[in-house]
Amino acid sequence: MTTKTSLLKVILLGDGGVGKSSIMNRYVTNKFDAHLFHTIGVEFLNKDLEVDGHQVTLQIWDTAGQERFRSLRTPFYRGSDCCLLTFSVDDNQSFLNLGNWKKEFIYYADVKEPEKFPFVVLGNKVDVTERQVSTEEAQQWCKENGDYPYYETSAKDAINVAVAFEEAVRRVLAVDERTDHLIPTDTVKLHRKPRSTATCCS
Amino acid sequence: ASVMAELLQPDSRMCNYFFLYDGSKVRGEADPTRDGICYFYPEETPLDKQELLCGQLAGVGRCVSELSSSPTRTLRLRRNKFAIRMKDDFFWALGCSVDVPTVSVSEFLDQLIDLFCFYNGPVRRSYQLNSQETLAARWARYLSHLQSGSSELSHIFSCLRTIDSTNVDPLLLLKAALILQACQRCPLVLAGCILFRGRVVSTQMSPGLTMKVMVHESETYTKAQRPNGTSASSSFSGTVSSTTVFLTTPELQDLQSAPVDKGFRCCPTTPQRDGPSKKTRLSRTLSDTPSTESQVSNPSSSQPPQKASLSPRLSDLDVFSPAPTHSAANSLNPSPQSLRPSLSNGEHSVEDEMEESRSRKSTGGRSQIHSEGDGSVFEEDSHLNGGEGEGAFGGVFDFQAVESGNEQPHDDKVVEEDSSVSCGSVSGHSAGKSDPPPLLPPPHRLSDASEENALIPMTLYMHRVKGLVLALLVEPHFMSDATSMEEVYHSSLASLNGLEAHLRTISPGAPGGPGPYTFAHFDCVQSTLTTNLSGRSGGAWDQPFVRATSLLHSHFCNTETLQEAIIRSASTAVYGTRSVAQETYFQQNGGSLRNSGIPNHQDSAFSLPSKARHRLLKHGVNLL
Repeated sequence: MTTKTSLLKVILLGDGGVGKSSIMNRYVTNKFDAHLFHTIGVEFLNKDLEVDGHQVTLQIWDTAGQERFRSLRTPFYRGSDCCLLTFSVDDNQSFLNLGNWKKEFIYYADVKEPEKFPFVVLGNKVDVTERQVSTEEAQQWCKENGDYPYYETSAKDAINVAVAFEEAVRRVLAVDERTDHLIPTDTVKLHRKPRSTATCCS
Repeated sequence: ASVMAELLQPDSRMCNYFFLYDGSKVRGEADPTRDGICYFYPEETPLDKQELLCGQLAGVGRCVSELSSSPTRTLRLRRNKFAIRMKDDFFWALGCSVDVPTVSVSEFLDQLIDLFCFYNGPVRRSYQLNSQETLAARWARYLSHLQSGSSELSHIFSCLRTIDSTNVDPLLLLKAALILQACQRCPLVLAGCILFRGRVVSTQMSPGLTMKVMVHESETYTKAQRPNGTSASSSFSGTVSSTTVFLTTPELQDLQSAPVDKGFRCCPTTPQRDGPSKKTRLSRTLSDTPSTESQVSNPSSSQPPQKASLSPRLSDLDVFSPAPTHSAANSLNPSPQSLRPSLSNGEHSVEDEMEESRSRKSTGGRSQIHSEGDGSVFEEDSHLNGGEGEGAFGGVFDFQAVESGNEQPHDDKVVEEDSSVSCGSVSGHSAGKSDPPPLLPPPHRLSDASEENALIPMTLYMHRVKGLVLALLVEPHFMSDATSMEEVYHSSLASLNGLEAHLRTISPGAPGGPGPYTFAHFDCVQSTLTTNLSGRSGGAWDQPFVRATSLLHSHFCNTETLQEAIIRSASTAVYGTRSVAQETYFQQNGGSLRNSGIPNHQDSAFSLPSKARHRLLKHGVNLL
């Protein structure tokens, strides 16, 4: 529809050590460093991509997961177009904390209509053999919390990372489209189906 | 008694005159003096005045030097005080007001010459390779840089410009330090520093070297014309640039002897799957320096052991303390009391590698941060080409005082000796004079011929993210090593983006008027200044303090055994105290000074030391 490039801010949230930085680095530079230090505060990288004919610049904000870094990261939630809630499939606690991360995001990002905000859930580290969180559990949580798309990823083995970000872009574009149509036509598509609600674990 | 009342109005510009004179161009009787003038500041000075000053000062300098068998260091001419340097046939003189402490004038000149050599190499060679006009522009630029945006206090101490850390979360300083360490994973990277809007956030280099690097940063920031050898790398979207620089042998040895354990450096060819490098952590210096031997074996380290305790504000010990969060909570109040106890309780322990890093020397460099109250760096110095001085050159030369540098080893290696002092830690203070450059092998110290070779070409790499700059000293072939460059670029980009975002959003603290007290704390080791004096204000109430500090600093430099002093006028008193590693100045504002004329036990000036001790604790200054 449009040819202009839009800047989309997506933010990765989740417990410390679930692999948020690795996911960002895998996606943007296609590299993996098993020994990244804790992220302090926030970091970000830009990536240009085309999704369904839309040119977008994705600005991916990576955040510090540790509780003690909270005051540094929360000021940067504002203005996010999409939030990637991330946990590690080999760490049940990180899964249980998803709800807290969602709450923290909605609070600090000052989201007006939380039920309409595009969240995407990532279960990282599927390369690890000892899982603590099953696919079904995760899917169940996503369904109950707002029908969020769920992806099982591995930053280490480059599984599903790009797909997840592309889905994030689609979600944002879908929301934008809804709002765009809202103003001139007064029509609202309440049940606009996302393109892929299913999990994509391969 | 009223020393301060007599003090003159300050000049925002420190340097009144500067020139470089090449004696080899003026051999015969018929040779005009002007042939020897390589550069003269202010440039609009009439040529006959330039000749007069150059000829006379050079002549007297040589004469004094021969009579005293030691290099001439300072000459006083009416209301100007000239720092003098002589090397080979070159003669430098830098003239300031007599109010400026001699040690400050000397350091200023050393810095200026060091700067020139850092970016241009040996002076003789530079003048063979470049036109006089080209080099004149560079002298002017370095002179302007050294004088720009600095407060009078920062001139007095010749200190580094650092970011005001009072409103900066210490975790961000840790972040900066970690970025630098990550870059050192590439073996071609010697050391680096991170600057924000022309101020130091974190550095692994000595204060002297950091100061030099900052000149290029400000050049690229103001988009001034670039010196030769600068190139922008197109593949990194214009944010990366590099230029050739020259390190002295001691500087290079200091960098190379830093406890960077090369064995733990990652190969530039980082494997997708981590195989044998499993144990390698990102922060090599935090985690992979298991022993403390390397620290001890670094005799050139300019940090005396007491540094950590004397500089409780964010020295690298604090930066790498295992519990950064507590400092986050207390970032506005980093008093030793609030910092130390939580070091041991471990409840916040960030990670084992941080625990290990308590042996601070293993951090591979210095991380430093201090507040300094002056304003923006990026203001043009409008005074630079202003009018000439006080018209002091009537032809009568009145050498009221001649100070010879007897403390220097007397040979003609003045410049090299000086640079090693100023690039080391104690920057020429009496306390540090005994520090020899320990790693300098004897042949280099003795043979004069090796001196020109002692400047080793290296490359200064800069990666800019808006107001934030990552500056790295790298081996010259780094720039042609695409793998290494990409590695360094990509491993730091996200963090630099983030750090820039963090620093940009920090609001500066409210500019306070005169508070209940004024203080200045100079860390001689890191060459940083902490003060609650707003440098821009130039307020009338600041002046007595600044002038008294200047006087006391002078006294401390000239009298090795002097540790404490109070200087007073009818209305106020300033207390100064110093140790090997620090100098602190304190003035109680307001209230009437009970001064009976003769010292008595009721005299409020005598309560200044204890007041200073208590008041300054909350600024992280420990005088106990």
